[in-house]
Amino acid sequence: MHLGPLGVFDCSTTIGIDSYICRAGQIEQDVANRKIRSVQIDLEDLFNYKDLDEEFLRRVTENTRRYLGIFADAIDELIPEPTEAFLDDDHDILMTQRAEDGTENADVSDPYQRMPKEIKRFYEVYIKASSKDQPFTIREVKASYIGQLVRISGIITRCSDVKPLMQVAVYTCEECGFEIYQEVTARVFMPLFECPSDRCKTNNAKGNLILQLRASKFLKFQEAKIQELSEHVPKGHIPRTMTVHLRGELTRTVAPGDVVEISGIFLPIPYTGFRAMRAGLVADTYLEAMSVTHFKKKYEEYKLGGDEEEQIARLAEDGDIYNKLAQSLAPEIFGHEDVKKALLLLLVGAPHRQLKDGMKIRGDLHICLMGDPGVAKSQLLKHIINVAPRGVYTTGKGSSGVGLTAAVMKDSVTNEMVLEGGALVLADMGICAIDEFDKMDDSDRTAIHEVMEQQTVSIAKAGITTSLNARTAVLAAANPAWGRYDLRRTPAENINLPPALLSRFDLLWLILDRADMDSDLEMARHVVYVHQNKESPALGFAPLDPSVLRAYISTARKICPHVPKELEEYIASVYSSIRQDEAKSSAPHSYTTIRTLLSIIRLSTALARLRFSEVLAQSDVDEALRLMQMSKFSLYSEDRQKSGLDAISDIYSILRDEAARMNKMDVSYAHALNWISRKGYSEAQLKECLEEYAALNVWQIHPNTFDIRFIDA
Amino acid sequence: MEGIGAPLMSSKSVSLIKVPILDSSNIGRIQPNSLVRFRGMVQDMFGNELYVGAFKDGSTWRTNKFTDVASFPMSSSTETRIWERRLLYCVPVPGQSPWVVQSSDSASSSETVINRCGNWTPQHGEKRRREDDMSVDQMDLNVCPILLFIREDGLPCQASQSQESVIGGTSPIQSMVPDFDTKSLPCLVKIYDSPESELKLNDVFEFVGVFTFDPELMVHEDGSDEFSSGLCEDTLVHLPPNKVPRLHCFIHRKLAVHDFLVGSPVNEPMPNLVRGIRESLLRYLTAVLGNDGVAAQCVLLHLLSQVHARVDAIAVGKLSLNLTGFSRESVSVFGNQLNIAIQSLLPFTQSMPLTVENLNTASLAPKKDYQTNRLLAGTLQLAEGTHLTLDETQLNAGILNSTGIENVRLLKNLMDLQKVEYDFEYYKLEMSSDVQLLILSEGKSNILPADLVLPFQPSVVASSVNADGDSLQAWRWYLATLRSLPHVIDTELQKVIEDDLVAARQEDRSLGSNDFSSGYLELFRWLTMARLMSASFGETSLSLEHWQMVKELERLRKERVK
Repeated sequence: MHLGPLGVFDCSTTIGIDSYICRAGQIEQDVANRKIRSVQIDLEDLFNYKDLDEEFLRRVTENTRRYLGIFADAIDELIPEPTEAFLDDDHDILMTQRAEDGTENADVSDPYQRMPKEIKRFYEVYIKASSKDQPFTIREVKASYIGQLVRISGIITRCSDVKPLMQVAVYTCEECGFEIYQEVTARVFMPLFECPSDRCKTNNAKGNLILQLRASKFLKFQEAKIQELSEHVPKGHIPRTMTVHLRGELTRTVAPGDVVEISGIFLPIPYTGFRAMRAGLVADTYLEAMSVTHFKKKYEEYKLGGDEEEQIARLAEDGDIYNKLAQSLAPEIFGHEDVKKALLLLLVGAPHRQLKDGMKIRGDLHICLMGDPGVAKSQLLKHIINVAPRGVYTTGKGSSGVGLTAAVMKDSVTNEMVLEGGALVLADMGICAIDEFDKMDDSDRTAIHEVMEQQTVSIAKAGITTSLNARTAVLAAANPAWGRYDLRRTPAENINLPPALLSRFDLLWLILDRADMDSDLEMARHVVYVHQNKESPALGFAPLDPSVLRAYISTARKICPHVPKELEEYIASVYSSIRQDEAKSSAPHSYTTIRTLLSIIRLSTALARLRFSEVLAQSDVDEALRLMQMSKFSLYSEDRQKSGLDAISDIYSILRDEAARMNKMDVSYAHALNWISRKGYSEAQLKECLEEYAALNVWQIHPNTFDIRFIDA
Repeated sequence: MEGIGAPLMSSKSVSLIKVPILDSSNIGRIQPNSLVRFRGMVQDMFGNELYVGAFKDGSTWRTNKFTDVASFPMSSSTETRIWERRLLYCVPVPGQSPWVVQSSDSASSSETVINRCGNWTPQHGEKRRREDDMSVDQMDLNVCPILLFIREDGLPCQASQSQESVIGGTSPIQSMVPDFDTKSLPCLVKIYDSPESELKLNDVFEFVGVFTFDPELMVHEDGSDEFSSGLCEDTLVHLPPNKVPRLHCFIHRKLAVHDFLVGSPVNEPMPNLVRGIRESLLRYLTAVLGNDGVAAQCVLLHLLSQVHARVDAIAVGKLSLNLTGFSRESVSVFGNQLNIAIQSLLPFTQSMPLTVENLNTASLAPKKDYQTNRLLAGTLQLAEGTHLTLDETQLNAGILNSTGIENVRLLKNLMDLQKVEYDFEYYKLEMSSDVQLLILSEGKSNILPADLVLPFQPSVVASSVNADGDSLQAWRWYLATLRSLPHVIDTELQKVIEDDLVAARQEDRSLGSNDFSSGYLELFRWLTMARLMSASFGETSLSLEHWQMVKELERLRKERVK
């Protein structure tokens, strides 16, 4: 058994390595055929391999650099003969020559004349850290980790050019003609000037050495800086950075701005020259990269951790998941339960559908929040962006030349025209939150029509005609036309967005700052409490962690619910009744089109997804309708005040009308609740109404089920 | 470390006062490897530095803790332990008022410094020669700092490049002296064994430790650059020890505003005394503000404001003030007077004229420079409790470029949320701040909506108002102490307040007021004012009387706004 330079390891582990490597026969052959240039050894894989124990794994992690050599030596021995012929290049010719020479001068006692193994290798060995545990943040990598294999996550901030790095310097001697090898381990080395060969030494010839660039072995080398991610920086601190060295095949795998996970060996930089004098005192460090993984921040590629799966399963069993998730969105924003529910549905979305004829129906939900200043619209937007794995926040006016859609720019260096994506393109497969939607540039506003329905951005500028994907859910916030909603004017006047754009929003949520004694008192209490206790009053529930929320939503997004036959009829009848109501009304608050029907389906599908159900239920559709109704609730309550009807009598008239329409005397409680909630009333109000009218002997209430039976007049 | 730290901590009031404070005036006189204090704000954090903490010299373990160079030679074969220390880049607190500098000067007993200075002779000959050149007669060592200024100003041609040549020839210690920036002295503080959470960015600290300077290190610092191609450069290359002194910190403590005051006139906030100081300060402010009593009250509350807590997105306790009704002329009178008054009352003050050009060019937010790996300080990187005056009267109509828009947004965020976004290019990091903002404008500032808007109505153009030193001292103490008083509201009063707030909301609506300010924040402001009002009397719980005063003040203010 070949132990290489490390006699310290017992044979069993080295045998383990050999047999482990043997297993990967095909890779061996590929390496021999120079098809692949790197051999990656995954520590997890190594651990699962039967012969190796935990102790060995620990040794590999703590002394990775030496084990790299051992693995490379083992592969050297096991490498088969190449099965495919490849073109001779300079290197091969040199190698054959060297092999012939090698027999001639057999005195390999001189380390400079022995050919280093690196020069023969055509591959690199990498050891990849186990991906089971959480990666470190940069500040967690302390002095005690020097020499160890660590896995860190961060963002790349700078990259150097790829440069050659000398791995083995080869010289020839003018006097004796021998080839002299010098292994280079550091970034800086002192070239040899005098021939160290025995012949020159005995002749005292002081042979002049000439560096042979073609014969030397170079490695690709790139340096990068990695910086902590903003979420890992403790409050009041500055993100830390670390230098990363990328060699060989790992070069050009990162670019500035990439969020990556790098496993590598944490090493000190050996000082040279003058610096060596203080080397004992201060040491710079770097990470020698072993593997680079790019973070994918899309739902589709969201990986669940072990305990997360369990947690989600537990949450799914909980009947009240819909409310719980909604409450956990922006828990610090007071009230707005229904808006949060709508935003939750936006995060979940519905599946995209592609019909057989190639027509696409979008699944992303678009929501527009319109309301008086100071009702926390912007905070809601920002919070949603934080929860979404991929979100872009922009303002209608604030975007630069690239704007919201895309722009064609002239590259200043190459003079070529390049396409640069705007916020909507960048948010592809994510959420784009646009604040101040009403103040948007006209050019962007026309483009947004296309984005919101076709989900593409088309460009025909400066000789470039193309169409970019923008499969994004748009969450917009806008102020009413005169800054504040003016109840004396019609809704259409207040909402200064063209109907073509409005109809593309699945929900247009009006949030008005209405005078209301109860809410004012509640707010006053809240304010006093905050001043008194320097914290928000207890929420009355424990909000779910954003990471759990994200995990749950990503699981929900994998489900593709469909509409069952029996529900089709129901949806159709609901749609037609909305249309009729609107036709009857003199000043409609909404503009119902066939898009509204699609919206209902989308919202219900999202609700079904939240239940992890493959089939839509009627309750989903009802809830979707309720949300649509609630979105204009602020307006209806004004209407009601004008018409002079109080809530109780209005509920009665709703129930009576519905019962008359269905020609029934009995109304079940569930149905009643359904109808009134669609009109924006609460269950408490329904109960009050039931009691009041029962006392008037208008109907009878079943004592247990609360079902209603009208008494014939 | 614990052995040294504990006694120092316990007797800090007695013994630490004798430790000289390292600043620009005495940097030349303090001998390397002596104990110094440094007061400054953490401006940047460089992360950890690894060093050989302990090594075996023969059979004994030696340490390199608190030094830059090994005190004993170490051979590479010896057994070593690598430890780490944290590097903090500290600067004098931005906007420090002149009286703070004076008082800290007088506080540090200068005898020790001078004694050390006398011992430190190697530069003597060199100095004398230069002095002769400059034909300055004084030879006394006490005038060292003055001489330094003359040397810098007098020999502008001797730029830093030529300094390098001096380094080679003569004793390198001399060359370090003129290189320090004498106006504001930054310091690289090395922190050992303290939890990371203790020291935060923008905190003001006093560090006690060893001031080190090793001439050997400096010489090599420049040569190393050629090896480090591209990225590998050391951050410290840009901060050579001859520009930025090194301090190995033993102990550190966070400084509050009252640490900058010299001796407090009163130890206990006695109600009568506080009332008296309040009256006199209010009189002074009224005089400064041309006999505008309401404005003086608002300014007093404003000066006492401080962020006490952050609840959700709201910074509780801030009270930014917008004095409107200024014209360019009146700003030059009252604005200046007010500025001078505030400067003499608070330790850290900044003022900034808002002009289109200024907004378009200024770098307000701190920005990370990846070329040098440093955080470039922006104007808004301020220590806790800094007062910032923004003069909007200078603003003309003009076009803002993208920097300008960004800067306005930053100012607005600072005003609304007391947060500043630091630009790390790939992402932005929000840092909380606690800055008192005062805006002087002609009309109500719409760019920077303040919590409290008050039209300023002076009746007398006062000639310059002067205050004597003693009362200034008392006022400084008053402002520094009272702003951090605790505060409670009784349950009974709570009810009254709640009812008042609701009533105000209802009334506000029925009037159909077109005030767009969010009701929620309005209520917050009332309670903040109530808190500040009761604090201004040195009381810790809100009384009905003070609540009424706030309502009265608010009524007077509303009248003026109309």
